Amino acid sequence: MISAELAVYLLMTISSVASTIAVYFAIMEKDLVKAVIYSAIQSTFYAILFYLLMAPDIVLVYLPVSVGLIPGVLLILIGKTERGEKE
Amino acid sequence: MRRSILHLTIILTLLLGLSLLASISWQWFVPGEWFKCPLQGIWCLPVFYLATTYNPELSNYTVNSPEAVTAIVWDYRGLDTLFETSVFYLALIAGIALARGASYKLPTGGELGLSKIVKTVSRLTLPMIITVGASIGLHGHLTPGGGFQGGATAAVAFMVAIVVFSIVFLVEHGVSKDRMLILRSIGLTGIGLTAVALFFAGLILGKNAYVFQNMAKPFAGLSFPWEVNSALISGTLWFFNLFEFLAVTAGFTIAFMLLAMSEAGSEEGVRHE
Repeated sequence: MISAELAVYLLMTISSVASTIAVYFAIMEKDLVKAVIYSAIQSTFYAILFYLLMAPDIVLVYLPVSVGLIPGVLLILIGKTERGEKE
Repeated sequence: MRRSILHLTIILTLLLGLSLLASISWQWFVPGEWFKCPLQGIWCLPVFYLATTYNPELSNYTVNSPEAVTAIVWDYRGLDTLFETSVFYLALIAGIALARGASYKLPTGGELGLSKIVKTVSRLTLPMIITVGASIGLHGHLTPGGGFQGGATAAVAFMVAIVVFSIVFLVEHGVSKDRMLILRSIGLTGIGLTAVALFFAGLILGKNAYVFQNMAKPFAGLSFPWEVNSALISGTLWFFNLFEFLAVTAGFTIAFMLLAMSEAGSEEGVRHE
């Protein structure tokens, strides 16, 4: 049986690996709207990591800023310029 | 040329002098000589914080807040947070200065915002987001959270409103840029007044009290009321959280309104300059 501590460490490992994959997609994506969404997914995994590392204050400030406000600002700015990234 | 060198020299002298003062004054600000730490070195500091954050038996050292992070942010290290707030305010002033001269024509005509389904869902969720933000902010001295966290959460509601209903909806409901600036100034003034309140109370009563003092210390007997009708408010922490909540919400909202607004009439303003 998996102990509670081991389950926490497993969840932390999965979150870290998944956030790295999301960062890769965010960098390689040419469509900027999709890149912003990948970046928000990475932030969600970071929030899970902060929670598991017992920093709930950081989670509460990280979630609205990095999942709500920053993608919102970036989407407004993308709406004012161009959606695709040019070579 | 020579004048600017002179200015630079004066500024550098002031900076170096103040740094020297700060580095030799540390020995009068080490907390609690009464405290016998069982551990060695740097581990004493966290043990000191955890032992004093909510400890009615040590009435001359405690902050009366069970949430150690907020106690550190607004009491033990209150000046850090004050400067952090000032930096945020200066960044906002820079943003407003960049958008000066724009004439802010609101978009008119046609169907504004997103579809009816999104609008209906947003009408239900927007009050909930603001409620959660206020709860995070005002319970900051009891549970994880605080003014900045709650303010950032409540600002999400305004951003969603701008995206879903368009900025006209906000302005029609009385959320204009100038009003938000006034709200933000009220928040900052409140933070400043809370910081110096006990100091002035000490001056009037003829007792020893310090700027940013919250609870009584052995050498300064005054303290903020830390409970109201047996509900814990932890002295200054509740007031700091309330005013920071107002300031952060209004500040983020101004930034979004500038981003969403300055498109329509900005070219005219630039031509004026």
